[in-house]
Amino acid sequence: MLLVSSKLANEKVSIDTSSPEGTARIHVVFEKGKVATADPASTILFMGGG
Amino acid sequence: MMKSVHNGRLLFVASTLLLLVCAGQAASKQTPKKQARLNPQEQKVIKYLVADWGEDYSVTSVDIAMAGLKMRQSDETRFRIGSHIKAHPELHEIIRRWGWVTLVLTPDEKLIARTLINAERDRKPEPTVTEIAKAVGITEAQADRGLSMLERYEILQRAASQGAGYKVVPRYIKWEPRLDFIFHKVSLDSGRQFNTN
Repeated sequence: MLLVSSKLANEKVSIDTSSPEGTARIHVVFEKGKVATADPASTILFMGGG
Repeated sequence: MMKSVHNGRLLFVASTLLLLVCAGQAASKQTPKKQARLNPQEQKVIKYLVADWGEDYSVTSVDIAMAGLKMRQSDETRFRIGSHIKAHPELHEIIRRWGWVTLVLTPDEKLIARTLINAERDRKPEPTVTEIAKAVGITEAQADRGLSMLERYEILQRAASQGAGYKVVPRYIKWEPRLDFIFHKVSLDSGRQFNTN
């Protein structure tokens, strides 16, 4: 998220990932730092870590 | 007297040959711990990764590096390169910080591992190959290949069971402090792909 909102903020960025512990796949596309599409639509994004 | 010396020499040569054969067999059983040197193409992948790791929080994996270099993907090549990374944490701080597992497995292999880890941790029956394939969204043949790769990396062990026939090596049941089975693949319009932590 840090990358998408800063260094890559002017690019179209696709991210393939998964739910943190499950096996469901997630595909999110960002355009100019904002979410353009998310599959599944119920995807919740959060910034943070630890 | 001469015959005795000759026989002694023959015995010595035979014993030496036997020892060499035994040593050779022991060495072959230790693969990939004592694997042969990587070929020039495989070394290119290592160079690509070492240059990429750490850029933009990159923890790029072997499969992405191979695609970036337009190399033909094969489990065998990935395994040879992955085993090299596993055996050489001195190559880069990223290996030491995040662990070799996340750098050598594909997304499918990571999700396959999770299905088994989650079941074992939650004391549920071990999933069958069919159930793993369904959970991960791949074919049974792909699930079989993934299980085999996880066994070769000693993340899984063969075990008699009603399920897929593997159990998770205890170290990997609790993996969250490391990145082991996490993947965030980033694709840019320029064609560049990498994994982030």
